[in-house]
Amino acid sequence: MRYLRLLAIFFRTELAYELEYRTNLALELLQMVVIITTSVGAVLVLFNYTTVLNGWDLGAMLVLLGCFYLVQGFGELVLQPSFEKFMEHVRLGTLDFVLLKPASAQFLVTLRHFQVVQLAQMGLGAVVVIAGLPRVSTLGPAEAAGFAVALVCGFTLIYALLLALSTFAFWFVRIDNLMAIYWSFLDAGRFPVDIYPGWLRVTLSTAVPVGVAVTVPALAISGRLDVAGLGLLVVGTVAAFFLASWFWRLGLRSYTGASA
Amino acid sequence: MTEPIIEVQGLRKTFRVTERQEGLAATLRSFVRRHRRDVNAVAGITFRIEAGEVVGFLGPNGAGKTTTLKMLSGLLYPTAGEAHVLGFVPWRRENAYLQQMTLLMGNRTQLVWDIPAADSFRVLQEIYRVPEHSFRKTLGELTDLLELQELVHKPVRNLSLGERMKVEFAAGLIQSPRVAFLDEPTIGLDISMQVRIRGFVAEYNRRTGATILLTSHYMDDVVALCRRVIVIHHGQLLYDGPLADLAERMAPYKIITATLRDGAAATADLAAYGTVTARDEGRVTLKVERQIAPERAARLVNELGDNLADISVEDPPIEEVIDRVFSEERVGAAT
Repeated sequence: MRYLRLLAIFFRTELAYELEYRTNLALELLQMVVIITTSVGAVLVLFNYTTVLNGWDLGAMLVLLGCFYLVQGFGELVLQPSFEKFMEHVRLGTLDFVLLKPASAQFLVTLRHFQVVQLAQMGLGAVVVIAGLPRVSTLGPAEAAGFAVALVCGFTLIYALLLALSTFAFWFVRIDNLMAIYWSFLDAGRFPVDIYPGWLRVTLSTAVPVGVAVTVPALAISGRLDVAGLGLLVVGTVAAFFLASWFWRLGLRSYTGASA
Repeated sequence: MTEPIIEVQGLRKTFRVTERQEGLAATLRSFVRRHRRDVNAVAGITFRIEAGEVVGFLGPNGAGKTTTLKMLSGLLYPTAGEAHVLGFVPWRRENAYLQQMTLLMGNRTQLVWDIPAADSFRVLQEIYRVPEHSFRKTLGELTDLLELQELVHKPVRNLSLGERMKVEFAAGLIQSPRVAFLDEPTIGLDISMQVRIRGFVAEYNRRTGATILLTSHYMDDVVALCRRVIVIHHGQLLYDGPLADLAERMAPYKIITATLRDGAAATADLAAYGTVTARDEGRVTLKVERQIAPERAARLVNELGDNLADISVEDPPIEEVIDRVFSEERVGAAT
């Protein structure tokens, strides 16, 4: 409860900041609309020549694309700005201040900064999902619930991965390149993970679970995910979260010299 | 006697550093085989600080001051030794402890650059769970003391260094801590801003009774704020006691300043009374061993007679004492 209140106040302060730069805000929104419209357009063109892509028809592809923007939007809404700031804290030594606060340092670092405008990307993603829905099987409460669970798992998987990656900043300080590689991998989530060749599919499902984070929610809402699959996703996500948190604490100990 | 607020016993911190020579070959050698060396940043220090004290923590760069402050605030684990602050072991970083302490660093900022400080204060209020009425009261007091009225609504990036430091102080004290560690709080500030920050710290201590441990390179900070100083060098404690006694303990000489009348100024040779360290028109400054200083001064008065216009006997300036301590590199506790 307390952490929700904190999140709300973090969000409010960043919102106030972004609203100060109205032109910038408008341009970012415009850019977002253009990017999403063209990628939807690309899918529509593709499906002029074929009706199905490795088992994914037009409706399912649209749902997938919407999920991609939901997940990417979440990443850019809070994770990207927070993790960038985190690495800056490590470089400048200002992480000290965060560690001396009477609250979870992991929370204060990783969910601290927002790019509020990215909510629009998530909104547009939701619109694309809804647009694709009538073309896939009927949506019941089971699918909706499965979708919600799968999406939260997707967000958490992305969070866990970024947390694990950024932990390397404790030892190497400058890891901007590593993060750049990550963001380009995220781009691969635009397509269903099962259309990729074996090695890439495995990578996108395990080491860099971007494919899972996007594809599984899309499968869930179009009724193509069974309970076992969803259960596996939940277990995997919880494991990934705790593993990443443990790794982060390990890195933190080396930062504060606990091991010395 | 009441329980001390800060109690430190044999505190030690050893860092393992990698060393290498300059040059490509040395870099490659170092890449293959690291040459490591242990550095004793803090080599076993012991002291205690009572409630409400303002203690100056002195030492040259690299003496171990910041390392000690970091251990006491909970950022670093010591290699050996014990410390209790407010009854807590700092490096366990329990929330109950963090809630009651603050660490302010003159060269680092905890405020978010792009937003006004007022917004950061609200975030801190939530983090420290400060009730609304206490928040308003504390902020009101800090605003008065530091004259923050207009500053808190500007984005931090638009503030001058001095203004930013004032706002930084307010941010660090919003939870009304009982213990404050101030690491070089006046660094880089101009004289008038230094004076105001000093005035604020003194007044804050008087009003709240907070215990303050302060490091500074500006002796004026220490003279204005601290009756007690702890001097460390090479990680070892050299002196712990009243600032007033530091000179007596550390500098075994006094400064006699004799002002001569016009006629005598040019001719008088005062080398027989002590070491002449400066001569400016009729003013002669002599360095004399502490024990014999009163006798030399009396002789000066007797022997110069009417030629002497004025005479004073003083401790050397505190900067000089400190400088002497550090340059002599005397080691061994003198408590």
